[in-house]
Amino acid sequence: MNAIELKGVNKKLGSFAIQDLSLTVPMGTICGLVGENGAGKSTAIRLLMNAMKADSGEIRLLGAAAGTQEFDEAKEEVGVVLDEAYFPETLTAIQVSKVMALTYRRWDQRQYEEYLKRFELPEKKRFKEFSRGMKMKLAISVALSHDPKLLVLDEATSGLDPISRDEVLEIFNEFTRAEDHSILISSHIVSDLEKLCDYIAFLHKGRLLFCDEKDQLLETYGIFTGTAEQADSLRKEAIISCESSGYGGVRALVRRAEVPESLELERPSVEDVILHMVKGVRK
Amino acid sequence: MKALIKKDIYVIWKQMRMFVLLILALSMINNTFNAVFLVVWCSMLPYTAMAYDEQSHWDQMAVMMPYRKRDIVLSKYVLGWMCMAAAGLLCLVMQTVIGLFSGRVTDISTLFVSLCVGAISLDLTLPAVLRFGVERGRMIFMVIIFGAVIGAGILFDASASIPMLSITAVSWLLLAAAAVLTAISIPFSIKLYETR
Repeated sequence: MNAIELKGVNKKLGSFAIQDLSLTVPMGTICGLVGENGAGKSTAIRLLMNAMKADSGEIRLLGAAAGTQEFDEAKEEVGVVLDEAYFPETLTAIQVSKVMALTYRRWDQRQYEEYLKRFELPEKKRFKEFSRGMKMKLAISVALSHDPKLLVLDEATSGLDPISRDEVLEIFNEFTRAEDHSILISSHIVSDLEKLCDYIAFLHKGRLLFCDEKDQLLETYGIFTGTAEQADSLRKEAIISCESSGYGGVRALVRRAEVPESLELERPSVEDVILHMVKGVRK
Repeated sequence: MKALIKKDIYVIWKQMRMFVLLILALSMINNTFNAVFLVVWCSMLPYTAMAYDEQSHWDQMAVMMPYRKRDIVLSKYVLGWMCMAAAGLLCLVMQTVIGLFSGRVTDISTLFVSLCVGAISLDLTLPAVLRFGVERGRMIFMVIIFGAVIGAGILFDASASIPMLSITAVSWLLLAAAAVLTAISIPFSIKLYETR
């Protein structure tokens, strides 16, 4: 079973539109959703959770089709963390747990308290007095304390300092040690996704440009560094995008299969691939 | 739905403490206007909770959680009814206690009418506020509330001058109106909320 299935999903929102979005996240995997600001990552997540109705297309969450009663039940098994922790500001961590205990059938109070301790979150302080990092940690604690099978994280690590971010990424890693646990995470911090993800999906202006296994993605492409003349001698289809390296030379993202094997290529990072892809599309 | 009501009670608890004090003070005066005013005012407490929800963007989070949109809408009605019932009960207790010393008879029919008016105002205003939000729905809300209060006043005056229309008749009429409007308002609100 797939944790997430989007097939041909379309949604028009004024001048912006999600177009023919098809994305599958198999059970037990971590998929990173990457894209610029306004690429449609949050909209895609809202569509996935049926917080917004799609104009057309098919959406399945843990096997349940959107709009059915099974879908509402499937939400019990999903932990969501959005770009901000949207809990009412007057609530304390204890009050949040009392509300969540009535929200989730499998709410685990002990687990929640353990996370509060681990993140050093105060129990009786009002949410509005929390720092942004503390708010995000509380949201993560809630998302993980009802035995979810799927985590949907929309910029969940963006408000955290590097040490907390590392700690949280480790928790997400721990979460996926169970075979049937999956994560969909959108983030601007591509290095986080590189550490964490099995799949990378790249959204650009509402369209999914690719969704590939991370290792395969990094094997498909290579970074060529050389002179402009050398780059010109390569087949046009081989080059995704090419930029000046600042010393009279060029740096290009190329398809390994399209260039001579003798050509020395660097292994790209996911960030290299994404940045060059965006530049390639813009050209 | 219990979770949503609990959350709302936590959110408005500070305000509710002020309301309790106000109810205690005003209910000592056995006056028709006070009872109507208090109960209708308490029927507005869901809007305070909704304003806090909007401020913290809770609604964005709630639609991602296993709450059905129907439950989100229903919880606001139930919260309104609970607040009105609590206000009505406090008024009743206070007036009964004072009546023990002053010999004044507790005006149960006025309280009953107040509850009906409160329920009607909730039925009339909630759909717009749920659809447009507290900020944008405020104007519609104000017009409806003033209309309901003035209408109730006119109805009371009429019931006093026309012998045929007794306070009991007015009570039954209002109860029927509240029941019919609630039956229309809830599904209408759910539909509006789903199209947000």
